[in-house]
Amino acid sequence: MRKLLSTAAIALAIGASAPAVAVAQGYDAASEVTVLMGFKAGGGSDALAQLVQPFLAEELGVSFVNQYMPGATGAIAWTRLAKQVKPDGETISITNTPMLMTNYIMNDTITYNISELTPLANIVTDPGIAVVAADSPYQTFADLMEAAEANPGAVTVGNSGIGGDDFFTTVAFERTAGVKFQKVPFQGDGPSWTAAMGGQIDASFNNVGITFPQVEAGNLRALVVFAEERLAELPDVPTAKELGYDVVAGSSRGYSAPAGFPEEARTQLVEGLRRVTENPEFQAAAAAQAMNIDFIGGDDYTAFLQAQEKTFTEVWNEVKDDVQSN
Amino acid sequence: MTDSFLWIGLTNVVQPINIAAIVMGTLIGMFVGAMPGLSATMAIALLLPLTFSFEPATGLAMLASLYLSAMYGGSIAAILLRTPGTPAAAATVIDGYPMAQAGKAGKALGYSLTASLIGGIVSSIVLLTVAPMLGRLVLNFGPVEIFAIAVLGITIIGSLSQGSAVLGLMSGALGLLISMIGMDPTTGTPRFTFGNLNLFGGVEFTVALIGLFSIPQAIRLMMGGDTQTSSRISNVRDRMLPTAIEFVKMLPNSIRSAGIGVATGLIPGTGGDTASWFAYNEAKRFSRNKAAFGTGHPAGIVAPEAANNSVVGGALIPTISLGIPGSSSTAVLMGGLMVHGILPGPTLMTDHGDVTYTLLWAVLFANVALFAVGMLFTRACVSVTKIPNRVVGPVIVVLSIIGAYALNNSIFEIWLMLGFGLFGFVLDACKIPTPPLVIGLILGPVLDTSLEQSLLIGQGNWMIFLQSPISAVLLGIAFLSILQATPLFSWLGGLRRRSAGASESEVDSRKTHG
Repeated sequence: MRKLLSTAAIALAIGASAPAVAVAQGYDAASEVTVLMGFKAGGGSDALAQLVQPFLAEELGVSFVNQYMPGATGAIAWTRLAKQVKPDGETISITNTPMLMTNYIMNDTITYNISELTPLANIVTDPGIAVVAADSPYQTFADLMEAAEANPGAVTVGNSGIGGDDFFTTVAFERTAGVKFQKVPFQGDGPSWTAAMGGQIDASFNNVGITFPQVEAGNLRALVVFAEERLAELPDVPTAKELGYDVVAGSSRGYSAPAGFPEEARTQLVEGLRRVTENPEFQAAAAAQAMNIDFIGGDDYTAFLQAQEKTFTEVWNEVKDDVQSN
Repeated sequence: MTDSFLWIGLTNVVQPINIAAIVMGTLIGMFVGAMPGLSATMAIALLLPLTFSFEPATGLAMLASLYLSAMYGGSIAAILLRTPGTPAAAATVIDGYPMAQAGKAGKALGYSLTASLIGGIVSSIVLLTVAPMLGRLVLNFGPVEIFAIAVLGITIIGSLSQGSAVLGLMSGALGLLISMIGMDPTTGTPRFTFGNLNLFGGVEFTVALIGLFSIPQAIRLMMGGDTQTSSRISNVRDRMLPTAIEFVKMLPNSIRSAGIGVATGLIPGTGGDTASWFAYNEAKRFSRNKAAFGTGHPAGIVAPEAANNSVVGGALIPTISLGIPGSSSTAVLMGGLMVHGILPGPTLMTDHGDVTYTLLWAVLFANVALFAVGMLFTRACVSVTKIPNRVVGPVIVVLSIIGAYALNNSIFEIWLMLGFGLFGFVLDACKIPTPPLVIGLILGPVLDTSLEQSLLIGQGNWMIFLQSPISAVLLGIAFLSILQATPLFSWLGGLRRRSAGASESEVDSRKTHG
């Protein structure tokens, strides 16, 4: 059935490329690249793979085969990538942050770390957002902060689960702002915003791409986004930075290879991914799925992962006793 | 506005390409449903890329029919082989397999197919008429209410552990314990994983289910030999469909079970696996002939099968009206919408009404297609009973191994499945019932997560469960069901009779004395 997938990807690529554009730069290390997927088919990582790989296959003239190894929030696939996969250019993986780092920061049993990987490029970032129900008494973020300051630990804030980006965004925000929320972990982004919409919790720290349809329809109200600048699709929602809280966070997905990956193969993949993200057709397809392109290539991606690793380690060391004593 | 979409959807769905997509989806669904380990969710995820080149409505019609017919497909293996093809068919085993053993496999499958049709039609009608109104209801179900539902579900163990309540409770407790394996949903701390990375995500429910049901069955078949084969063979030419009288008899049960299915599908976090047990339990509660359950009683097949097919419609309600997936399969289906540039959300019923209503009509038509395809396909399946046990046994083992591996492409899960198989065999040998264990496995994670979330929301105050009216009522019903399973009610009844008798005799004695 995996064959089926790749055939479909190839068919799609051929369909999109007719008449075939001359391949500008190829990929020399292999004719078929396996992509280890740490999550089930049909999830967010799969959506990225289905979007990127047909374009990348066309750019590089290779085919991509997804191998799904879900489990332990991606740690099974990433452990295999770091420890068992030969760095021969035939196998890469989709890497999600912050899970890629928080997995081993939070659990000693998980033994891989990012120094055992060759980061290739980040492709998309979904910025963090704080949303409340449409009928919530909190009209602005200042209202929510006022309530949190008046009654520390009484305002309930949902997140997508303990190791996920929203949990760390909440903790990072609490540290910066000096407030304390009652954090409620859910099994994913959906249940978290649903609970906010149903009024079971006061607010949900979530992601823009996921909650946007509900915000647009008026079911949820966006109070703040954790992005560098205001977002084009939500021009009236302030950034946390504007309000005086220096927190920029979100969930990102990109590609990484095992450590010791051939330099030439890395360059070819990174450049191929760069050209894909610059392709207007790709940009339109990504926009249709509410994916926010955020290309960070090569060494910049390595630096990005290292900086995140440092932040998450600090945050976790500070809160772990509190979390685990629950 | 909605009316016009209703008609646009109907005219869309009767186009030949869409009808072809529905029949195709039905065929694939029945196949993956019948194979243990291959699930509708998986098939939908794998077929998604293939539907990219179709019109959105055509692709979705195919995937929705697949989802629906897999629910029936699961009962084929459950009835013929005592191996549920999907988790939602686990409850069907209890009465389906004994009926097939009595030489009435065709009849059992006919009941299952007819019940599936009724369940599916009921839920399609609900979908097409009141979906937008019901969608808002979902928002009333937060962690507190979901916890109460899970508690109510746990009380089913009481009615499933016939014979020995103690063994039933033990089995249920074991199920709950096994479901605790993996990372704690609130703290991320690994529990009972023994440092094994493969256990961090917990025991995959389907893996445990395949092991618990199929391996003991395969061992029994291989050890039992071909002694009573002649009685087991079902005549392929037998009448499959229920007679008019039987149909009328099964109708109230089917409609009640379909209602349970729609409601269970509606609530996020509970799906076909839970609904079929709820429906089975209620069928038994309402039946005058409780002792017949478990021996091949038609109502025991009808209830879970009507319920699991109607879950499809129920799960689609929050999906299309709010963009909240009601089950894992609908979550993947939502991914299919996104690929076509349709962001799942409240605009599905308005901006994309034409696509959405085509999908809803497709669900209704898929029921009819399922019935037709099912009639042909099932006749062929019944001949499985002619194959000697010594052949069927090893085939079940092979299919189970493939199924366990296919779930997550994990060798570890093959061993885990075989481990559960041996465990199931031991349970059988000790006459410990497996259904309570399955209930524990299904509801354990729900209980665990919702309890912790509720207490976080309620700042550690347990009264939160009684402050929500929905939760208070559900917990009240659960409490009554527990009392029903104890001798309390019959004891109270006896007491009343005795005290009535006593006062009469008092009067009598006074009379004599006076």
